[in-house]
Amino acid sequence: MLIFLAAAHLLSAQTLGKAPSLTFAAVPLVTAERAQQTMVNLNFRVPPGYHINSNTPKSEFLIPTALKMDLPTDIVLGKIEYPVGEDASFPFSPDEKLSVYSGDFTITVAVHPMQSVVPGKYEMHGVLRYQACDNAACFPPKTLPVSFEVKVVKEPPAHKANPAQSPHVHN
Amino acid sequence: MAFVVALMLYVGYHQARRQGGALAAPRLTQSSLAPDFSLESLDGKTMRLSDFRGKAVLLNFWATWCGPCKVEMPWFVDLQNQYGSQGLQIVGVAMDDASKEDIGKFAKDMGVNYPILIGKESVGDQYGGVPALPESFVITRDGKIMDKIIGLRGKADIEDAIKKALNTRPATSQASIEERSSVAR
Repeated sequence: MLIFLAAAHLLSAQTLGKAPSLTFAAVPLVTAERAQQTMVNLNFRVPPGYHINSNTPKSEFLIPTALKMDLPTDIVLGKIEYPVGEDASFPFSPDEKLSVYSGDFTITVAVHPMQSVVPGKYEMHGVLRYQACDNAACFPPKTLPVSFEVKVVKEPPAHKANPAQSPHVHN
Repeated sequence: MAFVVALMLYVGYHQARRQGGALAAPRLTQSSLAPDFSLESLDGKTMRLSDFRGKAVLLNFWATWCGPCKVEMPWFVDLQNQYGSQGLQIVGVAMDDASKEDIGKFAKDMGVNYPILIGKESVGDQYGGVPALPESFVITRDGKIMDKIIGLRGKADIEDAIKKALNTRPATSQASIEERSSVAR
């Protein structure tokens, strides 16, 4: 009886078209110098059997995967670099190539603490918007909260060249 | 025994959550009366499902961002051409964040020859939450749900379901008509 119920439960989960959820891997504490740009890798995973549109899907009607960060004042967000999508065709449209992410993918963001930022730890928050499909159905767009911590440190002391010790100086 | 009952309740709870994200979503089964609704069409008219009383209806929930939905649309155009004179009415409900203009452009590009209505979450909820697209309901001439199709299936499967719905009889009793008159807005 219990085995039958468990089997029915599993079957219903598949046939009802459960919307997949992406996962976001925790980011180790990022150390960023003031007035410098620091690159931060954000790692995501699409569950097996699903795909999401890349940041540059091939149709104006498809919803691109997009990260929106909301950073503290005085920490500037630089360029967000998205991976190139994989050109793939699916059983629902074998003649058409779509630009998608599946499995693991990484989005890189540049954070740039201004000179005026007080050294310390800062929490960065954002959301990743994506829209997933499997081989036969698509699911409404979802958002995934994204956060990581940045430790802002003072810039290292300016290097004072000592001509006597420099290997590049030849008298 | 108590454990089995508790397990069944657990299974039922999670099934209900999956279907619509809310326990309030109705459980539509074969031969349930298709919930009536009122929605605006692309040309600005207000249409109700009950306007198609007496016809076999294929109610298709779709969106412009849904690739599999795009594959079905030419099939629906063909089926509407082929079976429209026998009493088939395909009705599209766009469950989309896109503007009415964009939905209209998409439908025009696809050569759609059946009404497209601008969907609302409340109508999706009436039909179990519509968790994945495409999702279609084949409705008999007397307004009952005959088949529910989630995801992309073959055109032949859809055509078979339509033929069965066309072979049904329209409702004749006043009671049946009145049953469909609770309209969602």
